[in-house]
Amino acid sequence: MSGPGVLAAPGGRRALGETRHLLLTVAPGVLWLLIFLVLPGIYLMGVAFMTNGPYGQPQMPLTLDAFERLAGYGILGWSPANLYTLLRSLAQTLIATLLVVAISYPLAYHISTAKARWRPVMLLALVVPSWTNQVIRTFGWMNLLAPGTPLAGLAESLNLIPSNMGLYPSNIAVTLGLVYNFLPFMVLPLYAAFEKLDISQVEAAQDLYASPLRTFRHAVFPQTLPGLLAGVVLVAIPAFGMYVVSELLGGGKHMLLGNLVARQFGGGANWPLGAAGAILMLLATFAGLYVMRRLGRRLGGGDEVVI
Amino acid sequence: MPHSLYRPFRRSARTALPLLGLMLAGGAQAADDKLYLFNWTEYMDPAIIDAFEERYDVEVVQNYFNSQPEMLAKLNAGGVSQYDVIVPSNYYVPRLIETGLVQPLDKTKLSHLGNVMDTFQDPGYDPGGDYSVPYQWGTTGIIYNTDTFPDAPKSWSLLFDANENPDYPFAVAGDGQVTMGGACAYLGHGYDCTGLDAWREAAKLLIETKGRDTFSGFTDGTPALQQLSRGVVHAAMSFNGDYLAFKDEDPEGFANTAFMIPDEGAEMWVDTMMIPAEAPNSDLAHAFIDFLLEAEVGAQLSNYNYYASPNAAAEPYLDEVLTQPPVQPSDDDMQRLRFIPSLSGDELQVFQQLWSEVQAR
Amino acid sequence: MTRHGLHRGLRVFWWLTLLFLYLPLAVVVLYSFNASNSAAHFTGVSLRWYYRLMGNEALLAALGNSLLLAVVSSLIALLLGSLVGYGMFHHRWRRLGWLVVLIYLPLVLPDIVFGIAEMAFFVQVERLTGWLSPGLGTMVIAHVSFQIPFVALIVYSRLVGLDPSLFEAAKDLYASPWQRARHFLVPTLRPALISGAFLSFTLSLDDFVISFFTAGPESATLPIYIWGAIRKGVSPEINAIATLMIAAVVLVAVASLLLGRQRAGRG
Repeated sequence: MSGPGVLAAPGGRRALGETRHLLLTVAPGVLWLLIFLVLPGIYLMGVAFMTNGPYGQPQMPLTLDAFERLAGYGILGWSPANLYTLLRSLAQTLIATLLVVAISYPLAYHISTAKARWRPVMLLALVVPSWTNQVIRTFGWMNLLAPGTPLAGLAESLNLIPSNMGLYPSNIAVTLGLVYNFLPFMVLPLYAAFEKLDISQVEAAQDLYASPLRTFRHAVFPQTLPGLLAGVVLVAIPAFGMYVVSELLGGGKHMLLGNLVARQFGGGANWPLGAAGAILMLLATFAGLYVMRRLGRRLGGGDEVVI
Repeated sequence: MPHSLYRPFRRSARTALPLLGLMLAGGAQAADDKLYLFNWTEYMDPAIIDAFEERYDVEVVQNYFNSQPEMLAKLNAGGVSQYDVIVPSNYYVPRLIETGLVQPLDKTKLSHLGNVMDTFQDPGYDPGGDYSVPYQWGTTGIIYNTDTFPDAPKSWSLLFDANENPDYPFAVAGDGQVTMGGACAYLGHGYDCTGLDAWREAAKLLIETKGRDTFSGFTDGTPALQQLSRGVVHAAMSFNGDYLAFKDEDPEGFANTAFMIPDEGAEMWVDTMMIPAEAPNSDLAHAFIDFLLEAEVGAQLSNYNYYASPNAAAEPYLDEVLTQPPVQPSDDDMQRLRFIPSLSGDELQVFQQLWSEVQAR
Repeated sequence: MTRHGLHRGLRVFWWLTLLFLYLPLAVVVLYSFNASNSAAHFTGVSLRWYYRLMGNEALLAALGNSLLLAVVSSLIALLLGSLVGYGMFHHRWRRLGWLVVLIYLPLVLPDIVFGIAEMAFFVQVERLTGWLSPGLGTMVIAHVSFQIPFVALIVYSRLVGLDPSLFEAAKDLYASPWQRARHFLVPTLRPALISGAFLSFTLSLDDFVISFFTAGPESATLPIYIWGAIRKGVSPEINAIATLMIAAVVLVAVASLLLGRQRAGRG
């Protein structure tokens, strides 16, 4: 105890109050996550360093086998299979995210310029399909893209696909499924950003630059950047770990990292390898987040960008 | 007024307390009067469940899996103490026994065990039948569209030879051992091939096959049927009983389809009933297995599923369709059917590396 | 003139997007009324699959589980998540890197890993204490864990976008933090809270993988049931139940919209 003077000082009391405030607001959620997420997560990470038992259960002793397997070194020597899988996942995620962004910007803008009373309706209209389950939605696409359907016929007559093949199962179907699933997750934060967009800045920019592209670049883009980055986080990360869409619409032809990891906990029967794959996913994701954070700063979002 | 101040609190307490209970206890389970059955989807006649529930005055809770790996994953992760009866296929039986996930059967509680056909009394996958009782058996062959392939060969070449099928989409099974077996058979190594050389050759063939424009994907037996009827694929691998069941449900959709067992050899499988090591109610599990061993119940199961019955006593009650091909394969075909070998240790690792190579390329 | 053209273009784009979003659902609805069993041909209108549905207790139970899970988990997540979001914003000048990492963890964990990790943990706890045996309770816990960060991020991102002088004004206007929360924060954050709750609800109904691994024998949700059915070969019953779910979702949507209207009208 250093005497009542310190505690009574206005600054001290304030700091104490602030700490209590922090605890009051953040602690319940943080505790929840620590107990129900971090703890299980640590256990799983531990699994990555264990030995794979004869039928896929993790065993002692600790080893780096799983990581060697992940790098492609197996009982038969090195193979690039997992490397292909990783690159394919990255490419698929990138394409899907870019498409989602390209579609979402005009949509979010359109909603934000609509009459105020219609905006909730429009947002709802976008979100409602995703309230139905992704398994149901994906099943709907299976119906739409199968050989012999009008859409597949159209693609066939345009020589986009070999005859008789249909649009599903294929990589295109997977991309489509990803875009379909994650579109609302981009539109919502973008719309939130558009809604509080300072329109006077945009008008000033319109006077200044005249060209819509430059107006977008200098006035709209920086202001909507926090929403965009939030959207990218909400879209790219689940897309990177996607499992259901690639399983149902891809026909299992081209494995993604999510399928690779999932299979180790099921048919692949190699929990340590699956856990190592999960660590790889985390590393890739952290790298992506880091790049995005740097990007956000450089593009003028300042420190106040999502992360 | 204290009363009205108190009311909102009471209301929230009323909703919060049950919720809390719900969260802590999860679903209350392992009640004495419940049987937890973990089975393939739509592989059980509801009438049988009703009859069992009535006779023993219990409730049967059914859960479903779609593949062996899925079932094993669930068991490995706690399911071992949640289910009373599981229905794995022959080549997973040794794995389950060796990992201690299942318990030996108490044969004194299975009074109808004698009904099991001699062939299944001492099966290779479970010597002595100490852990498993057969449920149904069937074959995995090729289903195809007879309009597209009016002169289809009775051969794996329908899938693996690009000259045989240059233009139409086809699929192979998603279960590695099932598909590699087919490739092995086509290459002349036999459906139940093992060993690095045969597998490596089969894996190469499959990677080539994957590269063909008309390759539709990896599709397991039952969804493949649906895809066949919708024209998503024109040839694929599937099971004899499911084929008949689908055809019976939708005669129109399956009018121009056929099932065949390739002459190079194909899979014969047995699905079995086993009891997990920590089953909540193993007594009731034994009662259930014994119930299914009864002659008429066994027949009812097969009549519903369109699969051959391993129950000798059930034979008189079987529908006629069950006594002829493709449910009961011809003698020649029977000669060519093989069990999938149950792999372990290094052999399993080698196989899995090759199979993941096939999938990832 | 160009502005007019832009708006017309946007409107067309908007309707095309809606078509894109609703077409797969429309197909499901259409085939639920198909008289024949065929999934490939529409042969006439019939309600037979709905009649069959009524006898399917497992499927109806799964539907109930899905809705209960979504409502309960998103309410808990809304409370915890918005508190976290506000705390993050209010104390953003402090060193809260650990908090950011924690909040992002559920986002960066792939579903499948998330599910397996939760399940392994629950099983372990159950072995030691007898609590948390797999069932609806464990599913709620898992769902809340992945919903919290979404709510927190939306609230945080809304707060960050606000004009800082608003906070000063609120401080002058309302003396106590509670007053400030009631009269300033909650109304200001309402769009974020609503979209946070929507998103949580969506994510919960949408989730298949995590539910699958944390479910117990009696808590299968609709997605788990339907996944099984698709893998086994879809029966038109699935179209029917999916249609009912779509209808329910639309009803909830319309109701929430009308409710919002009413409140806005009164306020």
